[in-house]
Amino acid sequence: MWARISWRLLKQELRRGELTIMAAAIVLSVTAVLSLALFTERLQSGLTARSAEFLAADRVLSSRRAVDESWLERARDEGLQLANRVVFNSMAFANDELALVDVKAVSEGYPLRGELRTAEQPYAPEQVTQGIPEAGEAWVASALFQELALEVGDTIEVGDSQFRVSKVLTYEPDVGFSVFTDSPNVLINYSELEATGLIQPGSRVRYNILYAGPGEALTEYEEWLKPQLNDDTHNWRSIEDGDSPLARSLRRAERFMLLASLLGVVLAATAVAVAAQRYCQRNYDVVAIFKTLGAQRQQIQRVFIMHLLLLTLLSIATGLLLGWLLQGLVVDLVASYFDVNLPPAGSRGYLLAAGTGLVSAVMFTLYPLLRLIEIPPLRVLNRQMTGSGSGRWLHWLASGGTIYFLLWLYSQQWLLSTALFAGGALAALILLLVGRLFIRASRQAGMQAGSAWRLAMAGLQRRAQANSVQMLSFSTAIMLLLLVLALRHELLADWQEQLPEDAPNYFLVNVAQSDVEQLQQRFEERNVEANDMYPIVPGRMIAVNDMPVLDEVSKEEQESAEAPQSEQREGFGRELSLTWRDELPPNNTVVAGEWWQDNAKPQVSIESEVAERLRVGIGDELTFNIGGEVFTVPITSVREVNWGSLQPNFYMIFNTATLSDFPATYISSFNLPQERKDELYQLFRPFPQVSLIDLDAIIDQLREVIEQVSIAILFVLILVIIAGILVLLAQVQASMEEREKELVILRTLGAPAKLLSRSVTYEFVILGAISGFIATLAMELSLWILQTQVFELAASVHWRFWLIGPLAGALIVGTMGRVACARLIRRNTAQLIRRLA
Amino acid sequence: MLIQTTQLTKNVETSEGILHILQPTDLQISAGETVAIVGASGSGKSTLLSLLAGLDLASDGKVSIDNVNLGDLDEEQRAKVRADKVGFIFQSFLLIPSLTALENVMLPAELAGNKEAEQQARELLGNVGLSDRLTHYPNQLSGGEQQRVAIARAFVGTPKILFADEPTGNLDSATGHKVEDLLFEMNQASGTTLVMVTHDTELAKRCQRVLRMDAGKLTEVTGDVG
Repeated sequence: MWARISWRLLKQELRRGELTIMAAAIVLSVTAVLSLALFTERLQSGLTARSAEFLAADRVLSSRRAVDESWLERARDEGLQLANRVVFNSMAFANDELALVDVKAVSEGYPLRGELRTAEQPYAPEQVTQGIPEAGEAWVASALFQELALEVGDTIEVGDSQFRVSKVLTYEPDVGFSVFTDSPNVLINYSELEATGLIQPGSRVRYNILYAGPGEALTEYEEWLKPQLNDDTHNWRSIEDGDSPLARSLRRAERFMLLASLLGVVLAATAVAVAAQRYCQRNYDVVAIFKTLGAQRQQIQRVFIMHLLLLTLLSIATGLLLGWLLQGLVVDLVASYFDVNLPPAGSRGYLLAAGTGLVSAVMFTLYPLLRLIEIPPLRVLNRQMTGSGSGRWLHWLASGGTIYFLLWLYSQQWLLSTALFAGGALAALILLLVGRLFIRASRQAGMQAGSAWRLAMAGLQRRAQANSVQMLSFSTAIMLLLLVLALRHELLADWQEQLPEDAPNYFLVNVAQSDVEQLQQRFEERNVEANDMYPIVPGRMIAVNDMPVLDEVSKEEQESAEAPQSEQREGFGRELSLTWRDELPPNNTVVAGEWWQDNAKPQVSIESEVAERLRVGIGDELTFNIGGEVFTVPITSVREVNWGSLQPNFYMIFNTATLSDFPATYISSFNLPQERKDELYQLFRPFPQVSLIDLDAIIDQLREVIEQVSIAILFVLILVIIAGILVLLAQVQASMEEREKELVILRTLGAPAKLLSRSVTYEFVILGAISGFIATLAMELSLWILQTQVFELAASVHWRFWLIGPLAGALIVGTMGRVACARLIRRNTAQLIRRLA
Repeated sequence: MLIQTTQLTKNVETSEGILHILQPTDLQISAGETVAIVGASGSGKSTLLSLLAGLDLASDGKVSIDNVNLGDLDEEQRAKVRADKVGFIFQSFLLIPSLTALENVMLPAELAGNKEAEQQARELLGNVGLSDRLTHYPNQLSGGEQQRVAIARAFVGTPKILFADEPTGNLDSATGHKVEDLLFEMNQASGTTLVMVTHDTELAKRCQRVLRMDAGKLTEVTGDVG
């Protein structure tokens, strides 16, 4: 019976548009969450998939020993593609010359992602190459051609095997971003590996298994594999792991999209919250009539819960459909714009969206619904009666809990959710207090003003309590709008600045000391923008405060011997590239200690993350071994390094006095536009031992990440604008209802339409301006936290928002108020009075 | 006695002290009686009506319907009494805007679990001359028609008592008279007890008893009401 009554009420109310705001709010929240979740998921997996080429695979299992065959079988069963890659150092001989090389033995299928490029002659035009070297053949990096005086077709000897050099290796997708891989690569077929006789027990070999396949299969395999991995022996990674600029950039992109989406989700939920209040208020009379006619509380509860559920389910269904259409549209646009294919998304988004709609509709309506059910029947005779206002804490608890839950549901991160929520709650409290203060102050100001202003100020003052709550939703909406706007314009711009048009796209390594000056001169002559030259001295860090560190070699020894001593620090397990310098390099900031002045005493500056990992700080002493010479230096400064910048960056920088006597090679980076690529050969012909690392591919990918994030944020911005307008609209409409009675009385008393319309407009203009101002304040605070804590950017004040915020607030809220008021004033007085009856 | 009050009082606290809206009142109304309560605006008529109907609680004294003291009942039980025994007609009709005329009339019967709600509602709407308006929504009906729907709704549960608060107050006099006629006809046909608040003395005269409320004090009027 009650279900029938609910349905009857709903049917007609929907038709008459009385539920439009509530339905629109739920539809919007579902649409927003769904399209955001699907779109960002697809964008993210598209980016990751395309970035995966820099790993030559979707995932890599790196191991110190050959990998258990059963692990590979399992992967094949899951439908994953596999390839082997084994990497080790060796000496190569040819033409009576000798060189240290990185041998890379790969199996059929390599690279699983990305492509190999080769040339027929060193520095000749390269082309994309399918397949891998045949058995008995080797593809050799161009630098080695110089070192060993090779020509294509010559024979090169590696270990016990001989290989015919058949191609010049110009590009490997997985060469990595390390500029310190200074031995040239020799690529051979995996089947030849054993014959070289170089793989002996104890040899320093990295066995890599490359995996590629659909996301779900990978995740499933990953979940199966991970518990079996040994941290000391194995390393499982995707392109998002690690310290490379691309990995950092991808992680930052993920945070950006997540954050922007969360703001969208919160605003959509706010729209539901505002609408829920109204939804219940407009049913006050109906409940009073029900009660007068003898309805039991339980019956009323059932009727209205059913009513709400029906409305919610209908709205969720509409929202899901709209959200799916919308993201499809945006994905199509993005796909055609960037000429990329975005992989389809899973089912999580749909569940998330439906859950958001249901949870916010139910939870935000909880308290208004309780009040609704408490409406006394006497309201039929006395329309002012609204029941008790007690238990408001329940409302705040339910609403706050819901927002927190939604944040968590969307991000699955407790820390981020808690930080955002706590920040938001604090901001809300401040908003509420500041809002009231402003209203009180404006009353004083209004006493001296003209009549429309005076009426407006008096109205503001009288409705101070209601207004400060309204202001909270106005401010929240405006703040979130400004925040997304700022996210798009300010933070994204900061990020883009790290990759300017003239960002270095080549790294130059292995420059002999004697060539430095000549090379710099050559750059100058040919108008090539190059950065400073950094000397490189390879060395090992062997002890901290005279305690030897655990090193890779010693670790292997210990595995078979005793358990590692826990207090012993872990070293780097490899040689570090050490440098010296008088000035602090660009993109470095000293966070502890001081950068040295001209000082003969030995000292070292350490990168902050490494310092943290090694548990060292100012005054600790590090011992290094460079080519057998051992020395100890104190740490005198700790630096934060911007790893996203495409500059040579170092963990350890020494002062000149400490290191400059050691033999060094130099590295640098420079920018050479793509169209001048042909000049490379001429430029470097006199320096045959110099190796070049081409960063264009990775820079393009970094730019693509930024551009796509920017599109994603634009999309969020549009959704946030719609949600924001809905919140404002719902709030203006609700507050117009409160003003209605007063307006009717004034109108009946003969107040001219112009006066009323002006006073309402002014009231809303003031409310909007104050809300805009408070919103800007809150936004600035949030942005500061984001810049310094989340995005590792320098903090800044965004002055233009201090103008945009209040102006936009006054304009939007004022206009909406005026429109709502105009509709009311257009009616004649008799109609108005009847409306109030 | 169908309705009985003893020393029924209503006070409200205001910033200027206690306001006595209803002075201690003793009143008996027997089954089938028609009673009008007249008085100026603010005299306390509507307050008395709300107390008699169990819409509000008294500050002091007793009110009972069918020998059940409403003061002993909670909100739920009072609603049950209203559902079983009481019908209402209001000055502002108080129809539910999103239900049709038929659905509005059916509502109290449905709430009371009456399986024949629809059939009874159709019949009653026929009695008030609105057979052709069953599927109209309140905003599609004139004031008089809305009040006729309200009358049909008031009678749907065959209540013992009908409370009417200024039933013609929102209608022009011609329409008002028609609605009055209808109300009294239906009341007579069903033998319902009618308690009506009005300031219209002509209307009041059509009742068997007239009570006057003056500053919270109720007196029986004998002779000329005006």
